[in-house]
Amino acid sequence: MTLLEIKNLKKVYTARFSNQQTEALSTVNFSVKEGEFVSIMGESGSGKTTLLNIISTLDDATSGDVYLDGNPLSKIKDKEISAFRRNKLGFVFQDFNLLDNFTIKDNILLPLVLSKTPIGEMESRLMPIVRNLGIEAHIDKFPYEVSGGQKQRVAVARALITQPKIILADEPTGALDSKASQNLMETLKGINETGQTILMVTHSTRAASFSNRVLFIRDGAVYHEIYRGEGSADDFMDRITQSLTVLNSRGERDE
Amino acid sequence: MNNRFFSSMALRNIKSNRQLYIPYLLSSTAIITMFFLMVSLLTNKFVQERSASLPMLFMVGVIVIAIFSVIFILYTNSFLIKRRKKEIGLYGILGLEKKHVAKILFFETVITSLLSIAAGLVAGLIFGRLVFMLLNYLLRLPTDIAYSTSLVSVAATFGLFIGIFGITFLYNVSQFTFANPIKLLKGKQEGEKEPKGSLILFILALVFLGWGYWISITIPDPLAALEKFFLAVLFVIIGTYLLFISGSIFILKAMKKNKRIYYRPGAFISISGMLYRMKQNAVGLANICILASMVIIAVSTTATMFIGAEETLENSYPYENNMKVFGDSEDIGAINSRFFELQEQLREETEAAGLEVTEMESYRYQNMYGQLEGQQFIFEQSLIDGSELPVFLQILPLEDFNAMSGNSYSLSDDEALYYHSTGTYQKDELTIGEQNYRLSAIENEFSEEMALTESLVLVVPDISHIKQLKEDYEKQFPDDVYLTVDAEIGWDTTGTEEEKREFAEQMNDEHSWAEDHHYEARLLQREEWYSINGGFLFLGIFLGLLFTIGTVLITYFKQVSEGFDDREKFQIMQKVGLDKDMIQDSTRSQIVWMFLLPIVIATIHVSFAYPIVRKLLLIFGVTNDVTWLLSFIGVVIAFAAIYWMIYRVTSRVYYSIVK
Repeated sequence: MTLLEIKNLKKVYTARFSNQQTEALSTVNFSVKEGEFVSIMGESGSGKTTLLNIISTLDDATSGDVYLDGNPLSKIKDKEISAFRRNKLGFVFQDFNLLDNFTIKDNILLPLVLSKTPIGEMESRLMPIVRNLGIEAHIDKFPYEVSGGQKQRVAVARALITQPKIILADEPTGALDSKASQNLMETLKGINETGQTILMVTHSTRAASFSNRVLFIRDGAVYHEIYRGEGSADDFMDRITQSLTVLNSRGERDE
Repeated sequence: MNNRFFSSMALRNIKSNRQLYIPYLLSSTAIITMFFLMVSLLTNKFVQERSASLPMLFMVGVIVIAIFSVIFILYTNSFLIKRRKKEIGLYGILGLEKKHVAKILFFETVITSLLSIAAGLVAGLIFGRLVFMLLNYLLRLPTDIAYSTSLVSVAATFGLFIGIFGITFLYNVSQFTFANPIKLLKGKQEGEKEPKGSLILFILALVFLGWGYWISITIPDPLAALEKFFLAVLFVIIGTYLLFISGSIFILKAMKKNKRIYYRPGAFISISGMLYRMKQNAVGLANICILASMVIIAVSTTATMFIGAEETLENSYPYENNMKVFGDSEDIGAINSRFFELQEQLREETEAAGLEVTEMESYRYQNMYGQLEGQQFIFEQSLIDGSELPVFLQILPLEDFNAMSGNSYSLSDDEALYYHSTGTYQKDELTIGEQNYRLSAIENEFSEEMALTESLVLVVPDISHIKQLKEDYEKQFPDDVYLTVDAEIGWDTTGTEEEKREFAEQMNDEHSWAEDHHYEARLLQREEWYSINGGFLFLGIFLGLLFTIGTVLITYFKQVSEGFDDREKFQIMQKVGLDKDMIQDSTRSQIVWMFLLPIVIATIHVSFAYPIVRKLLLIFGVTNDVTWLLSFIGVVIAFAAIYWMIYRVTSRVYYSIVK
């Protein structure tokens, strides 16, 4: 079943004081099925972040639309957009975006508090998630008291607690060392195996190798995609690396 | 590396941290201006000459503002430096030695302190002159209050603030000397730690407040009030800071523990935010509270003096022109002819001056004292006699009463009209001396002063009854033969203020101390009062204005600095689904803290200050408690309204920053 569908998405930025236009996304088409773990890869400036921002409703598309569960995001009223983001989407950011004035526990509960969830409900959701992510010992600490890997797990817990339709992860391993990255990706994979849909933007081939499918984006369009299939993670990683090499060399020839 | 390098580096740092330094420089300048103006007031001619106790009181004011300045600048500085920890930690990592960092900080301090002191002095000179001009124009006091200052004031301001900025420099250097660069890099993220022994602090707060209040409540006389006033103020200020620091942390933590309160969007964001910077938050609130108390005391006391003065003037001089005619105790009938004769004469004199009489009231009366017992009024010889306060009795003839009140009562020989100030005498008859009257009640057509002591007014059928009562009295007290029938003549005239004044001066020359009468013009009395006391009103308004501006700036600084501090947090929260309504919700839930708390505690302070301030007011001849209370309530409400506006505007600024 298709959960997320991106149709003819186009985004053009116009500079404020001139007519010069920059095309961030030319035509993007792809879809994500429920339960899938999709990675989007590409060079800096290829339009990955713009794409993710539009899916996150943080930015508007110039034309085309994004459908979640068959409903176009552009039809959501301004007033409902925050609630939509809170209830339907979960976010994991490169720089964690945890709040220093909240304890780990309160950071995780933040979206639920904003949705005015009853306390009992909040607490019953909290424990299984933190236990699962192995951060239950730290829930009364503050973000600046735990390591980077733990911070990112907290962010994952915060994304999961609203039971979102889809988790949007923007370079989640970008600020982590290799061991913590490995750990986090295994966690995300585990979460995906329980049926959670994940869409991740990344630079890292290793991180991408944990997903089921990788989309390659270049100059504002989806260029190529490969499926993991039945192969091992290492095997998949090699294929991703090859694809990247081919894509890059072909790109150079095109120019 | 020479000093030139460090000083240009310091200048660049300040420029690049504009967002932090502009509010800092502005509020430092404001507080320096405030202090400088206060010190300058010490050299003011009115303060020096009006009363020996005024310079002392203003000295208290100067010291209070000096203490306040120390706390305020240290508070804003600690806030500033916390936000710059990362930047300065980076210097360490980039290889600057600690003494180099200290040099940069030194030049930064020199630049900011010289800048703000210079700006403060200039602003003080300009603002002082302008406001003095404006107030002189608005108040039109008989003598203008001149703005004055002296080199000593400038030097005192300079010295104090160089000292304070010196302390901030040492504080900042110590912050960086005892911390390693990595910790500094993280410094901004860490929340403030709860002060150690906050329970002890809380108890200390109550002790200081209680002590200050106790001094005020138990003050025996004005002289002691003058001596102890400073001590009481000092204790209350210390107590306020401690109370806000320990108390607000207690309350916030308790609120955080209560899940039902804490886990709601507005409270969740605001409580955690306030706990994150608990000391800073508490000091800011205490600053607002102390300034609010100062505004309320300065304005309500001066307002009391002036409303009180107007009341006294209105009571003592119900008409523009007032003539008292003294009767002759030996020839009681003489007043009757003299009474009409004078009225005619005054009317003529008024017309001769080219004015017309618009209203004239005149009556003859006799005053007595005594007690009401059953249906009887028992004479008493003088005020000191009884253990109870005597009842004041004024007797008027019907003819004069009808004329002055515009009524047309008629009375038979055994009837009388009465007015009783407490309204407790409800009987139909009254025996007085050897006379017995059937009574009917009338409204108070007489002086408002009747309300001060229990008073009875009796209107008798004609002047012969008064004569009779005098004889009855003299039968009882044969030695006391000085009772006279006197008369009051009061009249208003047409004409401009100038013409009235001319007339009053002319009348004053001719009649002020004539043999059997005495003239007083309300206009001249008022002018005399204002020329003695006008400076109080002036200074009261000036201080009220000064402290209100202080409150505005401090509230503004608090909101702006916290806004920039919270901005990043709100942006993150918006990413995970915080909407704009909820931002407003969370700023709204700060109302209780930002708005109510300082006002309520300031009101409590001022209520407890009431006894000591009342004693101080006695020195300046203010005795009216009711007026005090009313103007106090009025000022509290007015200030709350002004502060509400300040709060609304500044919280809108906060909202637009974090949005």
